[in-house]
Amino acid sequence: MRWLWKIARAVLVIITLFFFLFPVYWLATTAFKRSEDWFTWPPSFFPRYWTVGNFLGLEGGFFGSVTTAISTITPYLRNSTIVALFVALISTVVAALAAYAISRFKIGGMGFVSWIISIRMLPPIAAALPLYVIFSKLHLVNTWWALILSHLVFTTPFSTWVLITFFNEIPRELDEAAYVDGAGIWQSFTRVSLPLAAPGLAAVATLSFIQSWGEFLMALVLTTSKDAQTLPIYLGRFITGWRIAWGPLAAAGLITMIPVIVFSLLMQRYLIRGLTFGAVKG
Amino acid sequence: MLSALHRRKRIGFFMVLPLLLLFIGLTVYPFAYMIYMSFHRYTLASWEKPEFIGLENYKEIFQDRTARSSVKFTILLLAVACPLEIVLGIGIAFLLRDFFGERTFRSTLLIPMMVPPVVAGIAWKMLFNFEFGPINYFLSLLGVDRVSWLGTQFFAQLGIILIDVWQWTPFVFLVIYAGLQSIPRDVVEASLVDGASGWSALRYIELPLLKPLIWVVLIIRLIDILKIFDLVYMVTFGGPGSATHSYSFYIYKVGISFGWDIGYASALSVILLIVVSLLTNLLIRFLRLREVLGL
Repeated sequence: MRWLWKIARAVLVIITLFFFLFPVYWLATTAFKRSEDWFTWPPSFFPRYWTVGNFLGLEGGFFGSVTTAISTITPYLRNSTIVALFVALISTVVAALAAYAISRFKIGGMGFVSWIISIRMLPPIAAALPLYVIFSKLHLVNTWWALILSHLVFTTPFSTWVLITFFNEIPRELDEAAYVDGAGIWQSFTRVSLPLAAPGLAAVATLSFIQSWGEFLMALVLTTSKDAQTLPIYLGRFITGWRIAWGPLAAAGLITMIPVIVFSLLMQRYLIRGLTFGAVKG
Repeated sequence: MLSALHRRKRIGFFMVLPLLLLFIGLTVYPFAYMIYMSFHRYTLASWEKPEFIGLENYKEIFQDRTARSSVKFTILLLAVACPLEIVLGIGIAFLLRDFFGERTFRSTLLIPMMVPPVVAGIAWKMLFNFEFGPINYFLSLLGVDRVSWLGTQFFAQLGIILIDVWQWTPFVFLVIYAGLQSIPRDVVEASLVDGASGWSALRYIELPLLKPLIWVVLIIRLIDILKIFDLVYMVTFGGPGSATHSYSFYIYKVGISFGWDIGYASALSVILLIVVSLLTNLLIRFLRLREVLGL
């Protein structure tokens, strides 16, 4: 009986992993398939010929459309990188300041913290409409700032929340000791607490970067051209027409996905704490 | 002369100020504006100034068939995808616990939830392809005819559910798995020594201890499903017909891609906002903020 359960369990684990990894595998291999392998029956589960043509814009030219060439990706890659970096930086700084004050001096108390969580839970579409109207009055539509500001709405609450739990774990006595040595609050914050919270800062910066990098709705509503549009919007544009150039599309998808996966695997220890609202220590 | 504590509190206030300004500028003001707009007739497609029409926009929602079908589809998602994710997530957490290589599996299961939804949409659109898609191929191995996944109402809706389950079951798994790790082992072991079976230890000790966490993930998933947009946009664009219009997708269509009808879209958004705030309140209650944050 025992070995039967063991086998059943192993089978279940394999099915589970297959279900959760296969879509990623499919995307990754399609990115290296030659155009004749995109449409075959049975589907080609392992590319017969590997090519990097999808990345260089060489494959799929026979569709005769510019959007099938991945070589046009550069401006979008630039926009995504700049926006995500600024979002990560600003939300980490703003969140670190606020989280420290909330953790140490209980500024605002429960009400304030609850408000922060409720902002994290906002439906983006509801924020997108009024922001569109307001940003168009300020002439911010189709600029990096429109995206940076709107992404901050969703990344900052999360970062603040996670950092509160990180600062809470740094013993208060360290601050007290710094005061006794004549340090002010600012010094004890920057010299004592901040360095100790470094893993937390790295985690929230990473999470903010990932969120901003993959964000679609705000970018769709608030940008109109390659001056400010990000990678997800570029990908969204591929999905038109009756036959999609799967190879270049998968290649672009892979480029969009890689930084996120690398970051999340590097930071997973802290990400789990972040993702679970600090309720559980991962 | 201010006391030291007083002075610190004041500096603390200044530290919170950037966050406060950010949120007031980017949420409080826009939402006030949105509520105001929901009582007006206002489209960006015309030059006319907003005109006050009271509750007309809200009344329209009740006569709007697409709105009704988008609510229905969203409720379907909540009713099917959420419970499925919770059950699967808990199941996988128990399945992988103490299994050979569990750490590696935990890391790999982090991947789907980190993949940007737009990219997930592309991957699944390929899998769902009618003529060449791997899913239809797997079905053909089982002797099932090709399914037009994105072409019929039932299968398109099922498809969206499947992708959401794929992307977010790992989230439930991670939270529950982390929760399991924090349950003191000796409690469970003591019960096993006392003659309890592994199954009853799970049923009567571990699951009850996980209950608050299960509530938290359930509410977070409910809130997130109410926002579902990217997937719908990429995979079905609401089709066929309006079968997979999620509520958020419908607001987008009304407010941006079709009509630029800001007034009506605002009214729809206000309702979404009310529902989400109710759920968020529940969430805050279950998170036990005071304990978690030591406030």
